[in-house]
Amino acid sequence: MCGIVGFLDTSGALGPVGATLLGMLEALAGRGPDSSGVALWGPLAPGVVVRIKVGEEGAADARWREVVRRAGRLARVEATTWEGSLLRLVVAKAEVGELAAAIEAIGSDVEVVSIGERLEIVKQVGPPANLAREFDVSRRRGTHGLGHTRLSTESKVDLSHSQPFWAHGTADLAVVHNGHITNYHRLRRIYEQEGVRFYTENDSEIIGIYLARKLRQGLSLRGALEASLHDLDGSFSYLAATKAAFGFAKDPFCLKPLLVGESGGVIAVANEEIALQAVLPAGYRAREAGARAVATWEVPERAGPSGAEPRRAGARRRAA
Amino acid sequence: MNIVEGKGRTVRQINEAIRRLIDAGERELLVRHPGARHNLAVAIVQNVAIVIDGPVGYYAGGMSDGVRLTIRDSAGWGVAECLMSGEVVVDGNAGNGAAASIRGGTVVIRGDAAARAGVAMKGGLLLIGGGCGYMTGFMMQRGTIIVCGDAGEALADSMYEGLIFVGGRIAELGNDAVVSDASPGEVQEIRAALDRYGVPGPAAFRKVVSGRKLWNYDKRELGVWKAAF
Repeated sequence: MCGIVGFLDTSGALGPVGATLLGMLEALAGRGPDSSGVALWGPLAPGVVVRIKVGEEGAADARWREVVRRAGRLARVEATTWEGSLLRLVVAKAEVGELAAAIEAIGSDVEVVSIGERLEIVKQVGPPANLAREFDVSRRRGTHGLGHTRLSTESKVDLSHSQPFWAHGTADLAVVHNGHITNYHRLRRIYEQEGVRFYTENDSEIIGIYLARKLRQGLSLRGALEASLHDLDGSFSYLAATKAAFGFAKDPFCLKPLLVGESGGVIAVANEEIALQAVLPAGYRAREAGARAVATWEVPERAGPSGAEPRRAGARRRAA
Repeated sequence: MNIVEGKGRTVRQINEAIRRLIDAGERELLVRHPGARHNLAVAIVQNVAIVIDGPVGYYAGGMSDGVRLTIRDSAGWGVAECLMSGEVVVDGNAGNGAAASIRGGTVVIRGDAAARAGVAMKGGLLLIGGGCGYMTGFMMQRGTIIVCGDAGEALADSMYEGLIFVGGRIAELGNDAVVSDASPGEVQEIRAALDRYGVPGPAAFRKVVSGRKLWNYDKRELGVWKAAF
C-alpha cells in the first residue's frame, strides 16, 4: 500500500501545515508503518535550506564540520542546526547541483535530502508518530506540503529509501508516490547513460527525476504531470509540488486510490477519506480522482522572507 | 432509533455494538461519527435498517444479506461488496468497485461512482444517480446497472451477461460491448427504479450488453482477443 497526503491553502497564506500533514499521516498510518516523512514549503529562506543525512560512518560532529566547511566554500553558511537524524543548513544563494555535489563528495553515505528556497524534507524510519517525535514538524508553518507513510514492497527500508523524494538537483521539487512504476528499470538505464545519479533502488525515485527533466525542458508542472501519464507505466497515484505549484496524477487503470477534498480555498488530497476527516471542516466536498486524472493548483507568491502571515479578507474556517 | 456512537470507539467496537443491538431485537440503528473508517456494518444478515450519519471508508455494508443500509455521505472503495440481498444507499459519491460482485439486492449511489463500479456483478441492481468511472461493469455476469450521468472509458469491458443503461455520454465502450437504444418498456422499468429512490434521471437511455464474442475462442477473431488482453 503506502499512504500519501497533500495539503494546500490556495490563498498562499502561511498556515500550520506541519500539524495538518501529521494529522493526515497519522490517520493513514495503517497503510504503511515502515517509514514516514513530510515535504513542507515554508517561508522564503534567505538563500536556500539544505537538509542532509550525514551518513553512518564516522563521528557525526566531524561530518557536520566537514559539511559546513565544504558548503562554506561555495556560499556563506547562515545557520546550522541538528534536527533528529538530519542536519539543517541555511546557505546564501548557491548553485543547487554544485552545492549538493560538494556536500555529497564527503562520503557515499552522505545524502542531501532536500534543497529549496522554501522546501524542506524530513523523513525517518518508522511510523508517522515517530516523525512527530524526531522532528518538530507540528510547529512548522507553510503554504503547502506532502506526506508519505510507507509499506515497503521491493526495496529496502532506510532513510534514503523513504519518501517524500526530493528531485535531486532541482530546488523545491518533491514527490510522494503510492504504487509501482513498472518501466522503472528501462527508464533508469536510459537516465543513467545520460549521467543521472540514482540514490536508491526505489522505483518511486524516478518520478522526481522524470518531472525535473520535463520542467527543465520548459514544461509547466501540469504539462509534466500530463506527459507522465504517457511515459510512466504501472500503477500510480502521486503528488508533486514546487514552491509555485501543487498537483497530482493518477494512472490510466485507477489501481491506486486518491481522494480530492476541497473546502473553501483549502485542498486536501489523500488515499483515503479518513485523512481528509482529520483536517477538513465538516461539509467539505470529496471525490475519487478518475483514470488519467491530472490537477494542479498555483501557489500565490505571498509567503515573504519574514514569514509574516498575509492579511486576508473575511474570516474563514481553517484546517487545524 | 438506537444510536451507536462511533467517536472514541474502534471499528471492531462499533461493529460489536451494532451486533449486540441486533441480537437484542433492535431493527433500526443510527451510527454517529463514522469518521470515514473501513469495514463498518459488514456481514449483517438480518433485515435491519442501519443509517450511518457520515462518510465511510472501504467495504461498508459488505458481505451482507438483507440489510437496509443508508450512508448519509460518501463511501470509499468496495461499498456493499458481495451483497446478497437488501439495499445499500449512498447519499454522496462512492470510490472504486462500488457493488463489486453483488449477487442480489440494490445498491444506490446518489452521486458519482468511481472506477470499476459493478465489477463482476452476479445479480442485483446498481443505480448510479451521477456518472461512473473507468471500466464500470467489467466482467459483469448478471444483474443491471443504471447510470444516469456520463460513463467513463472501457464501459462493460469483457462482460458476460447483464444489462447496463447509461443516460449520459459514454466515453468509450469496452471490449465486446454492444450498444443500442433502450426500448420504451426498458425505460419504463428504469424510471420505476429511479422513482423508488427519488433519483432524477434523463428521459432516454442507451443499453449496453455483451456481444458474446469472447464467450468462445475463435482464431478467426484473433484481433478481438488481442484487444481484450
